[in-house]
Amino acid sequence: MTAEVLIREPEVLVPRRPPALLTAALRWAAALLGAIVVFGAVLITKGANPLTVFVDAWRETFMTAPSLQDVIVKAGPFALAALAAVVPARAGLVNVGGEGQVLIGAVAAGGTALSLDQHVPGGVVMVCMVVAGMAAGAAWAGLAAALRLTVKVNEAVSTLLLNYVALDVLLFLIYQPWKDPNGSGQPASRPLAEGAQLPQLPGSTIHIGVLLTVLSAAGVWVVLTRSMWGFKLAAVGGNQEAARRAGFPVGRLLLSAMLVGGALAGLGGVIHFAGVEHQLRPGMVSNIGYVGFLASWLARHKPLAVLAASFVFAGLTVAGDSLQIDAGLPAATSNILTGLVLVAVLGWASKGSRA
Amino acid sequence: MSLIVDVASGAVRGGTSILYAGLGETVSERSGVINLGTEGCMLCGALGAYAVAAETGSPWWGVLAGAIAGALLALIHAVLVVSRGANQFASGLTILFLALGLTSLYGGDYVKAPIHGLDPINIPFLSDLPALGAILFQQDALTYLSFFAAPALWWLLHRTRAGLLLRTAGEGAEVLVVHGYRTATVRYAAITAGGALAGIGGAHLSIAYTQSWFENMIVGRGFIAVALVIFASWQPMRVMAGAYLFGACLALSPALQARGYSINQFALDVLPFLVTLLVLAFLGRRTLLSAPAELKRVFDGSTSTA
Repeated sequence: MTAEVLIREPEVLVPRRPPALLTAALRWAAALLGAIVVFGAVLITKGANPLTVFVDAWRETFMTAPSLQDVIVKAGPFALAALAAVVPARAGLVNVGGEGQVLIGAVAAGGTALSLDQHVPGGVVMVCMVVAGMAAGAAWAGLAAALRLTVKVNEAVSTLLLNYVALDVLLFLIYQPWKDPNGSGQPASRPLAEGAQLPQLPGSTIHIGVLLTVLSAAGVWVVLTRSMWGFKLAAVGGNQEAARRAGFPVGRLLLSAMLVGGALAGLGGVIHFAGVEHQLRPGMVSNIGYVGFLASWLARHKPLAVLAASFVFAGLTVAGDSLQIDAGLPAATSNILTGLVLVAVLGWASKGSRA
Repeated sequence: MSLIVDVASGAVRGGTSILYAGLGETVSERSGVINLGTEGCMLCGALGAYAVAAETGSPWWGVLAGAIAGALLALIHAVLVVSRGANQFASGLTILFLALGLTSLYGGDYVKAPIHGLDPINIPFLSDLPALGAILFQQDALTYLSFFAAPALWWLLHRTRAGLLLRTAGEGAEVLVVHGYRTATVRYAAITAGGALAGIGGAHLSIAYTQSWFENMIVGRGFIAVALVIFASWQPMRVMAGAYLFGACLALSPALQARGYSINQFALDVLPFLVTLLVLAFLGRRTLLSAPAELKRVFDGSTSTA
């Protein structure tokens, strides 16, 4: 019944010509430029000079070593949350639950750390945190997949709702059971033992979680493009009915795509907790999952491009801080540029290759 | 007994913003387009209403401004989805980010601004009724208006030409084309009107319910509205019932705390989301049967519209 909607253009038969590539590049450039111009106009309405703001933000975000490292560190969880959208998208699923999966991954890592880091060596704690965080993220996404497969609840809606459930789980734990009795009175868990914090590259703030992120992206690329599983996912995403008739276990493939996605987001929560935050606190995961979701669209669901897209959005986030300091504008202002870039990309840059 | 009355009247007051947003989402989804950015439309509506109420001193200009702010944001969604064929989920979250940024940028000046909000008005005689009086007739004007909004939308959808066009856009766009209508026009109107209603929902939150503005004050109500419409099977009257169910979940926590029960607040905060998920799980299969056909395509993952 839905077959006629799902037929895709046979890409193999339409060779890409260089002029098309050139116009595509031009379209991207124009789209991004448009976003920046509109953002500049918004800044003018608040009495800021966009040129000075842009130059200052650029200089303070990308031109000093500490802030550049900050961008790279922030890009890690963004990229993992983006991959959490990329893998399900391959199977035609929309995972908007990166936020909750990152949160619950961080919570699992935090809980693991609380119970282990005084008793076993740091390295063991790290491995346990990664396992627990990935399992929790997978379970969180698996819940949405199970709802879709058993009672047909749309996964975009259920993952969104689960984000808020995850946030309440975190808040519940740190306001009572896991609250640090020796803390400042702020609701937060006890800081992670130093030996269990993710080690940093010598002379920088870049922790090994970033390395894990790059490896994950590479791994996802290999699996999606080179493995039988990846091929089957793409088949399900392309035409579910055809995949079913070809004898593919569609339900199991959909479930596995969500589980893998959730595990990646969970890993994002782990590295954010063990590499940066070191304690659970409210607001620790502000929008990582949503930015990741948008990054996956900016990257058009290509695993390696996700790294670049996440770097861009991490740059915008860090630039937001410089907006606050230099121009006296709220840091969340950078969300406008994030949104505008996406408007430009969704509306004008990726025409003809919609997923 | 008084706990029940407290929760029920809180349910109506707290559910009103979700009701408006849910009705807006119903309009949009009936035309075949889901708007995840409803949360953002509510944010813009809340700030637009609050700012204009503060500047003009009139809450009703505020309500109008809230509706316009929500409609404008939804218009971006309409352009992306209808004219540019963008993915509906991605576009919805995109406008949410725009709303987060814009309301944070322009909202700072209004955080502690004084306003004349919409205060509760006691309806003569009716407000003295036992229980019912407190629940239904000691509310603000926007809430009274909402009592008529759901039946009005039902009438619009099922008894007018505009409603028929709207439903046809959602059920079988090609039929509209055959009869010489433009699906795009109908959807533009539906999405924008939906945004306006969500904006009014946000306005209720800022100038009637809390009478304050603070960053990110919607905290998930817009997403609840989106989910609510699905389990209400796109029926305005059921949306109304659902909105009050959520209002009750929201009202439970302060009502219990006021009575000295010490419950971890977050165990209660999670209720609306858990209840939504549970209801969706129980009704999921059945409600999907009544989904507008064009929307079902979106849900099944084939989001590229022809």
